Amino acid sequence: MRRDWINIALAAFVVLFFIFMLAPILVVVVVSFTAAGYVAFPIPGWSLKWFGNIFAYQPFIDALLVSFQVAIGATLLSCAIGIPACLFLARARGAWAGAIMTFLLSPLSMPMIVIGFASLFFLSWLGIGISFTALLITHTVVCLPYVIRTVAGVYAGVPRSYEEAAAILGANPAKVFWHVTLPLIRPGIMAGSLFSFLTSFDNLPISYFFGSSSTNTLPVVMLSYLEHQFDPTIAALSTLQLAMAVVALIVVDRIYGIDKMTVAG
Amino acid sequence: MTTIMRRTFLGGSAMLGAGLLTGIGPRLANAQTGEITVTAFGGVWEEAVRKCFVAPFEAKTKAKANVSLGGPPQWLAQVEAEPAKPPVDVLIMTPDLALTAAKADLVDDFTVEKLPNLAKIPQQLTDSVKGKGTLFDYGVSGITYNKDRVKNPPKSFAEFVDRVASGEFVASVPSISYAVTPIMLIWSMAQALGGGANNVDPFFKAMEKMKDNLVFWAGPNDFFNHLSSGEADIGIYFDGRTWNHFDSGATWIDFINPAEGGALNGVAVQKPKNANPLAWQYINEVLDAKNQEQFAEIMNYGVTNVDVVYSDKLKPRITPWQQTQFPPYEEIAPVRNEWVDRWNREIGR
Amino acid sequence: MQAPDQPAAKPAASVIKPWLLTVPAILFLAAFFVLPLIDNGMRSIVGETGGLTAGRYLTLLTDSFYLRVTVATVLLSAGVTLICVVIGYPVAYFLVRKAGRWAGLVIFLLIAPLLTSIIMRTFGWQVLFARRGLVNNFLVDQFGVLSAPLRLANSPEIAIAALVHVLVPFMVLAIATVLQSVDTRLEESAKILGAGRWRTFWEVTLPLSLDGIGTGAILVFMIANGSFVTLVMLGGGLQTLPLMIYQQFNTTRDFGMASAMSTILLVIAVFCLFLQLRLVRRRGA
Repeated sequence: MRRDWINIALAAFVVLFFIFMLAPILVVVVVSFTAAGYVAFPIPGWSLKWFGNIFAYQPFIDALLVSFQVAIGATLLSCAIGIPACLFLARARGAWAGAIMTFLLSPLSMPMIVIGFASLFFLSWLGIGISFTALLITHTVVCLPYVIRTVAGVYAGVPRSYEEAAAILGANPAKVFWHVTLPLIRPGIMAGSLFSFLTSFDNLPISYFFGSSSTNTLPVVMLSYLEHQFDPTIAALSTLQLAMAVVALIVVDRIYGIDKMTVAG
Repeated sequence: MTTIMRRTFLGGSAMLGAGLLTGIGPRLANAQTGEITVTAFGGVWEEAVRKCFVAPFEAKTKAKANVSLGGPPQWLAQVEAEPAKPPVDVLIMTPDLALTAAKADLVDDFTVEKLPNLAKIPQQLTDSVKGKGTLFDYGVSGITYNKDRVKNPPKSFAEFVDRVASGEFVASVPSISYAVTPIMLIWSMAQALGGGANNVDPFFKAMEKMKDNLVFWAGPNDFFNHLSSGEADIGIYFDGRTWNHFDSGATWIDFINPAEGGALNGVAVQKPKNANPLAWQYINEVLDAKNQEQFAEIMNYGVTNVDVVYSDKLKPRITPWQQTQFPPYEEIAPVRNEWVDRWNREIGR
Repeated sequence: MQAPDQPAAKPAASVIKPWLLTVPAILFLAAFFVLPLIDNGMRSIVGETGGLTAGRYLTLLTDSFYLRVTVATVLLSAGVTLICVVIGYPVAYFLVRKAGRWAGLVIFLLIAPLLTSIIMRTFGWQVLFARRGLVNNFLVDQFGVLSAPLRLANSPEIAIAALVHVLVPFMVLAIATVLQSVDTRLEESAKILGAGRWRTFWEVTLPLSLDGIGTGAILVFMIANGSFVTLVMLGGGLQTLPLMIYQQFNTTRDFGMASAMSTILLVIAVFCLFLQLRLVRRRGA
């Protein structure tokens, strides 16, 4: 009996939680279908014209592509250098390992505007200046901590005995990593990559300093667009991002099973 | 940092990941070619720039102008980071940033030899940024309100302050996070209430009186949100943007240039040192009367060439710049940070 | 914690030195995070007329206004982290243990808000909580619960709620990833041994998921500590160091002061991070 009450309370809490999470978003989605020429709620009538407007404005499309490339590139790069570090750090004890972990997470706490500004001057001095490479490097700086912390958090909970058993059975370290460790830390990699992608995709304060006609990301173009115009195109763009996320997640689900992102398969 | 350090560093980075540095090449060829990079705010602003300035420039020179979207602090930082090889050839600036660029010697002098159309721009506007650039369009900051809720709007800053203080309506004013607040609000209101650049006490006293009925906007769209969502009934905002909202269907919005005169908020155009000389021809197009007329028609903002004749729709909307309060940018620059500090301590948002 | 894990794996693992695995990440951050910040940090100690000065740091560390801002920054980050743990844990628990085939939907609902631009999300908050917004209309006109509209927008509560809104998904996913690897058989055994539901939770489940809470708390604390966009957009009169830094870039262009503030912010963050990591390690060990 008591068990049921707890379950009902838990479910009710989760429902309230999602009302909190989704209410502001729902407002935005509704506004993107407005017939009015300005953003206001409630809306006077329905229309799809603002979605057409997205595609009529070329910089949005260009920037969307740049954002995707940077977010994917920075996530891959973060995984490439971050996951190996976790393999050591999650298992190591002692002051040094703690210090290294602190160091690798420290970019999180620096306001991104400072990272952006400092990097602009430094990378310009190096000759990399305002380029896609510069964007990729700076985004990786802020994405790396997400991958490291999430993967290390999961790996710390994996019992050593699995890998030891494989090693005893004669597998070399590469094989142990590929066939034993990697599947075990996959949820961490998935979650870390997701954090990393979202962080890069929504980043404004860094991308802002590296903006140019060929390296503007979506948030930079959106901000610049909003400086003098506040039609519902931006709301439509947000709704479109949501729709793309739905499609992406459905695809992931069909191929892979979305719950595998947290639940090790 | 020395060149040797830089070499060592580059060597090290190359070892780190050879593929990373491939992005260096393409931009080197920027100067001295038939291609320049100009700047614009996004959206309708950019469309206006392409139509009114880029198109005639490209038609006359057969060169190409790329448009970089963004904002003044970003472009200035980019030029500061690489003054020998500026990534943009034409800057669009707020006057105080333009003055910063002029003082840092990052931008070239404007002369009639290089820019024939400069002769048609009032001298005071060019002088306001030390002759290293000029203002090409402007807005006026004054009182914008919701006609449905404010039937009898205040006609002056003084009346605005009294009626907001009395709780008659809630007002939305720019927050200190908005870059031009020191000019459009602090100086402008201090001036209207009997102070000036050397005495902003009247402004801070007014804010103290109004504090229970104020909300703050961090960006122009915030203000519109406040007005449309009912967070505020009235506020301090720009004329051109008010008309843009009106034209896009928000017909409940209206603007008043206060009796004391609203502050002029100019947009300056400048050319970074070492930028492509073709930029001069582009800037000359920016200062051209016909092009500016077209620009004003799209943007609802005043423009500065004396030969411009506004259309009948625009005439009642545009306040001649002589009837605005012209901010003494040079006097404000040295005390601006003190004002911001005082704002943080006394108003705190 | 020592005896069982030492012997067998050694020969295989010692082919390469394991600490070498951290070298790429360390070098990368040293080159592209530390060096730019040192370069930038020089601005904080060079005076306006050249020469070195500690004046900016003295101002920041002695002026009561800046001290208040610094304390407010830490309190805000800690408060937001705490709220995220309290709200996030039940959701993570539900996601892993109860959601079943709905898990995909729950994850999607968590991620979706993050994909909406911050600018539009803020607009959503304003519509809901404006003086004449949906919530007030509901409370005042529809139900007459209140006689006058609440001043919700532009209040610190809304800014905090918006911060939690942005950060709580990180907490939920961080906890969930660890919680799912907790062996449910341990909980079953505890129950079989006669432990009640709450005791099982407090003494088995919660301690085993501490790594997840730790990860989530670190991420949320650090991000909150460095974030300003939400505060700029929703106001609320919260003055924090990141907000002041943004102001230095945007309004006053005092890069020296911005640099000094960011040094202090970084020191605080690294100190708190180090404390949190020790706590997690000790408890987790």
